[in-house]
Amino acid sequence: MLRVLLAKDLRRAWRNPLPWLINLIVPLAMTALIGMVFGGKSDSGALGRIRFAVVDEDKSVLSDVLRGSANQREGGKYLEPVFLEREDALRQLNASKLSAVLIIPEHFMRDYLTAREAVSLELIKNPAESIHPAVLEELLGAVVTALNAISRNFNSEFPEWQEVFEGKEDYHKVSMLIERAGEKLKTAKKLIDPPLVTYEKEDSGGTPQGEEASAGKANGGDSNHAAGKTAGGKSGKSKQDDSTNVFAYLLLGLAAMFLLFLGNNAMTDLHRELRKGTFERYQTMHQRLGPFIVGKVVFAVVVLLLCSAIMLGGGGLIFRVHWQHPVPLISLAFGYAVFVAGLFAVLVALVPDERRSAVLTNVAGMALGLVGGCAFPPQQLPAFLRDHLTPLMPSNWFVETARNLQFSSENVLWTLVLLKLAVTGVVLIAMAAFLFRRRFKAGLRA
Amino acid sequence: MSLLRVERLSKTFGAIRAVDSISFEVRPGEIYGLLGPNGAGKTTTISMISGLLKPDAGEVFVASAAFWSDPQKAKSIMGVVPQEIAIYEELSGRENLEFWGRMAGLGPRDAKARAAELLEALTLIDRAKDAVKTYSGGMKRRINLGCALLHRPQLLLLDEPTVGIDPQARLNILEFIRSLRASGTAILYTTHYLEEAETLCQRIGIIDNGRVLAEGTLSELQERLGGDRVFVLEADFKGSSPDAWDGFHNRFRVIQKSEKQLVVAAIGARDPSECLKDLLGLPVHVENVTLKRPSLNDVFLQLTGRELRE
Repeated sequence: MLRVLLAKDLRRAWRNPLPWLINLIVPLAMTALIGMVFGGKSDSGALGRIRFAVVDEDKSVLSDVLRGSANQREGGKYLEPVFLEREDALRQLNASKLSAVLIIPEHFMRDYLTAREAVSLELIKNPAESIHPAVLEELLGAVVTALNAISRNFNSEFPEWQEVFEGKEDYHKVSMLIERAGEKLKTAKKLIDPPLVTYEKEDSGGTPQGEEASAGKANGGDSNHAAGKTAGGKSGKSKQDDSTNVFAYLLLGLAAMFLLFLGNNAMTDLHRELRKGTFERYQTMHQRLGPFIVGKVVFAVVVLLLCSAIMLGGGGLIFRVHWQHPVPLISLAFGYAVFVAGLFAVLVALVPDERRSAVLTNVAGMALGLVGGCAFPPQQLPAFLRDHLTPLMPSNWFVETARNLQFSSENVLWTLVLLKLAVTGVVLIAMAAFLFRRRFKAGLRA
Repeated sequence: MSLLRVERLSKTFGAIRAVDSISFEVRPGEIYGLLGPNGAGKTTTISMISGLLKPDAGEVFVASAAFWSDPQKAKSIMGVVPQEIAIYEELSGRENLEFWGRMAGLGPRDAKARAAELLEALTLIDRAKDAVKTYSGGMKRRINLGCALLHRPQLLLLDEPTVGIDPQARLNILEFIRSLRASGTAILYTTHYLEEAETLCQRIGIIDNGRVLAEGTLSELQERLGGDRVFVLEADFKGSSPDAWDGFHNRFRVIQKSEKQLVVAAIGARDPSECLKDLLGLPVHVENVTLKRPSLNDVFLQLTGRELRE
């Protein structure tokens, strides 16, 4: 009988897909929208290269050095500078084709070397973006710090360097200047190398990777050792890409939130069956109402699993998210579906009036999503919610575990969370069965 | 032997006594009509018979067995057609029939075959694949009826199955119900349409305020008014009362009296022309006298003091 009931409900959902489609499309659209605002899109699905303009109004040797360093070596992986005139750069910024515009003002080198007056670099950020302009601002801060450090250490030789740049000194003088600079750097080397604090990047097997790792090893026991987290997974490359994938982070949260709404829609179908009289017609044929209600729970779980597959699978394809642990993720989605079905079964059983129930179930779904950290990162929630309520929310169990599976290298105890979700769901379903039994004891029309 | 027997059935909702000690029975091959206005207690009665409501008192017997001793068995014998159209609008007519057939315990093949049979009988075969939401009111009513017949019930409970449809669709449904009766099905039919009860039902129970006021065949009910004719007098009855007319209550039974109209039936077997002469001799200026066969409305009028159409 359950199979017949399930087939009937799936067929009805297929013939009237709008409520389901809305709840499927909205999280994908929101992921795209918020993801674009925070990071823009890229082929890898990660944050991508930061496109910005450099407006060189100084056209000096120093500004050439700054321009050239912007896309060299490591910088070239992450930065995509374009060299434009001020008007053109601002036009492209307004059209959101650039994340920021860096302006090197006229007489920048002269003022810097002569210390005649304070020099400044101008950074105009794109207000429509969040992360990329912030990264550029941080980088520019590092450049300014370096320029200040050079100025403090080499200030006495700046007049001679200025003459070199202006072509007034001979090669002999230039070689002496370089030699003196080298001597100063040699003296400073023991103060800055090896560094006092470093960090080490590890893969899931604990093997140090990259230059930072080597530096850490060389440092041995003398240094304070702070290990940074990276995503765990099979492929080191994809792990690195997805560690910054804002779409994956958003999609998991929004999928968890909208699965609540989909579960609400599936279980409140019981109200529609009551209103339409089909539930009553069933009772004119069968004394036990259990199969009909269990059929609706099974329908809710199946629909939620299908919708999870569409949202996470389809969303993964759209946003090029490589799910690191698909099997645990699907298992968690199953546990979450059981919980969601149980929750809304209890709410429907608790409030017989359809309108009141609609208000209650909508508010409950929304609250569970928000407090559970589905719509916002839990760290950004108010302290009371974050510390006391969020950890109690099954939506939070699901979404945080799914995010940890995707982004954390640590061993994630997802089976325990799956068990918690499934047990909570089963307890809620049992409660709903008890409430329905009590409510319909004297017949559906009582 | 009756297929359905209802004994002193009662149901109260708060202060309202919806059904008050109702008793009747329905035999195989019989259509029993429960006739009454909206709110009389017809649907509550059907709800108790079909197990949708537990009665406060009284007992329902289906095929001689008490309903609540084995409700599932009783339900397998009966088919219920609710007043509201209780089908899935997104599904086609065929899918609805097959689904309810499966719910009634048929296997997939039997449900399919029986659905095709019913679609043919209900003249819906051409629209079998269309979603029910595209059907007319009459077609929906027919599918609603068909969904209760998949398992060939011996007892059929029909709760106002023709409400809100056009006369042609109503005639089709009534014809179909007659064919069910001919095949031996016992049918309990609730309605507030006098014509349906008069033309369709073998026996009729008149129900009002939760009580069965009278029961019998149409002629038995007409007999209650004292024969097969009533007189309708039109005159100005303001200020005059039959109580003041000498011996009037010994010769006539007053069915209804208003300021402009008086409906009476003769007591005993009297000649109509003699009755007419008697009425024209009353101390009022009679403008018009009509002689007619008493209808169920007249019976209802006599029993309740108001018309069923009110």
